[in-house]
Amino acid sequence: MAEKTTRVVSGGFLPPARRGTDWPDRIATVLMWAVALLITAVFVWIVGDLVLQGLPHLSWEYLSAGPEDAGRGGGIAPILVSTLLILAVCMAVSIPLGLGTAVLLSEFGRRNQFFGRLVRYSLDVLAGVPSIVFGLFGNAFFSITLGMGFSILSGGLTLSCMVLPLLIRSTESALRAVPDDYRRAAAALGLPVFTALWRILLPAATPGLIAGLVLGIGRALAETAALLFTSGYVDRMPGSLLDSGRALSIHIYDLAMNVPGGESNAYASAVVLIGLLLVINALTFRAADRWLHQGITPV
Amino acid sequence: MIKKILKACCVVAISLLLVGCSGEQQEGAAADGLIGQLIVTGSSTIAPLAGEIAKRFEQEHPGTRIDVQSGGSSRGIADVRRGTADIGMVSRQLNPDEIDLVAYPIARDGVAVILHRDNPLQALSEDQIVAIYTGSVTRWSEIGGADAPITVVNKAEGRSTLELFLSHFKLRNEDIRPSVIIGDNQQGIRTVAADPNAIGYVSIGTAAFEVTRGTPIKALPMDAVEATLESVRNGSFPLSRPLHLVTLPEAGAGAGAARAESAALIQAFIEYAASSQVDDLTEAQYFVPLAH
Repeated sequence: MAEKTTRVVSGGFLPPARRGTDWPDRIATVLMWAVALLITAVFVWIVGDLVLQGLPHLSWEYLSAGPEDAGRGGGIAPILVSTLLILAVCMAVSIPLGLGTAVLLSEFGRRNQFFGRLVRYSLDVLAGVPSIVFGLFGNAFFSITLGMGFSILSGGLTLSCMVLPLLIRSTESALRAVPDDYRRAAAALGLPVFTALWRILLPAATPGLIAGLVLGIGRALAETAALLFTSGYVDRMPGSLLDSGRALSIHIYDLAMNVPGGESNAYASAVVLIGLLLVINALTFRAADRWLHQGITPV
Repeated sequence: MIKKILKACCVVAISLLLVGCSGEQQEGAAADGLIGQLIVTGSSTIAPLAGEIAKRFEQEHPGTRIDVQSGGSSRGIADVRRGTADIGMVSRQLNPDEIDLVAYPIARDGVAVILHRDNPLQALSEDQIVAIYTGSVTRWSEIGGADAPITVVNKAEGRSTLELFLSHFKLRNEDIRPSVIIGDNQQGIRTVAADPNAIGYVSIGTAAFEVTRGTPIKALPMDAVEATLESVRNGSFPLSRPLHLVTLPEAGAGAGAARAESAALIQAFIEYAASSQVDDLTEAQYFVPLAH
């Protein structure tokens, strides 16, 4: 008590009526805790609800069989395969393109060059475009103009258009955050530009790269609207990348919204989707970690 | 390590390419001469049913492949006109400006006005429903119900249930004063089941299934006709709609054996979808099969 009084007196600006009470601090503390708890509770609620309702329907058969009765029976094997193929196409296209563009923007070109600003501005606009717009674009361009039809290929390419802005921007800012001393040191050692990039700059920028990659994978796996018109609705096991294949998120959407009595399997599929996301993220971290340690940069 | 990763990437890429190429080869010719691939797009209401019909059709006719896509009735029509689909799925009567296409009914679906089970009202006249949906009646007490505000549940633009509802009650969507806008039947049922003061409309098949499952909703009779599967089948229920497959009239009329082949396949699939062989599938999706 004495301590508080001293503090108020030494502050010297609080009116006597409020002496001894630090309720604004307390309210702030309570509010902070409440907000933090609320957010945690929402997360726990969602995951708990999914796991509680979905886990009883999960089994090896569910993962290894094809869907029956519009998804109310059977499993999701073809859908899982389609989802992974779509993601593979998306990443196979967007990782090289994304890295290349990010390197171009950060390493080759002055910061305020007109071209660089234009690219950055378009990327920021693209990052905020609703996914259904990408879906319609993908349908018009990849499916119809390029003649890919409803196919895993056109779905994956559409997704890579969505993921690229995220990937490029986060990689670019990570590369920019690498101290210029590294570049000067590399130049002083006479390292070729590519070696400096591959051995020093990119490994040093790995954390930002991973962040972009994980965000991108999350966005790609969760996508429904953009895939409905591109990779399509067919739940057969895909025979090639030119076949239409239903993604997990579309399967969940269809079961929850279009198929009466499909909710329980929708929950089970959602658990699989979240599990898949966690596994892929963990693998991404691991792979990136290895790359980081084989570089010559100090960690 | 990098080399390993690169090597792995190359292997994946090459194997994907190989898989891509191998898909081009068609396997096994069919005994009945039916062969080839059809693309069916349109109404998300029909898509699950068409998908099941397609699976059974493929089993009976090896060598055929029916790809069913979703996206809405209007999309089905646009895709057939543009030639990106062979067959469209349309869950309503064709509009006058769509008579360039031929429609084949394969089943019927009814739209039921639903209330929460605890709502004391047992029936609503068409005028009352119009008054509720246009906002001139906003409390249940005004039409003899509980003293509570009415939660008006409307469907989102582009849903064919919405189109059927609007055209039956001669309303325009901008006249409606909704409290909640929903996308699909399941969402509508969930919204009404959770709110004792809500009114909404959904497919009768869906509503009947949910009622038997114990969901707290009830489907109202319309013009004294009960909202049952039977009244939808015989067409006496006023708020019902046909589920159609549509094609271009000259489907396959162009020269060449390939076109003729695909025309035969289109015809065979449509006939199969309208036949009694798929009644069980139709019922499993809570639609009403045609009287054969």
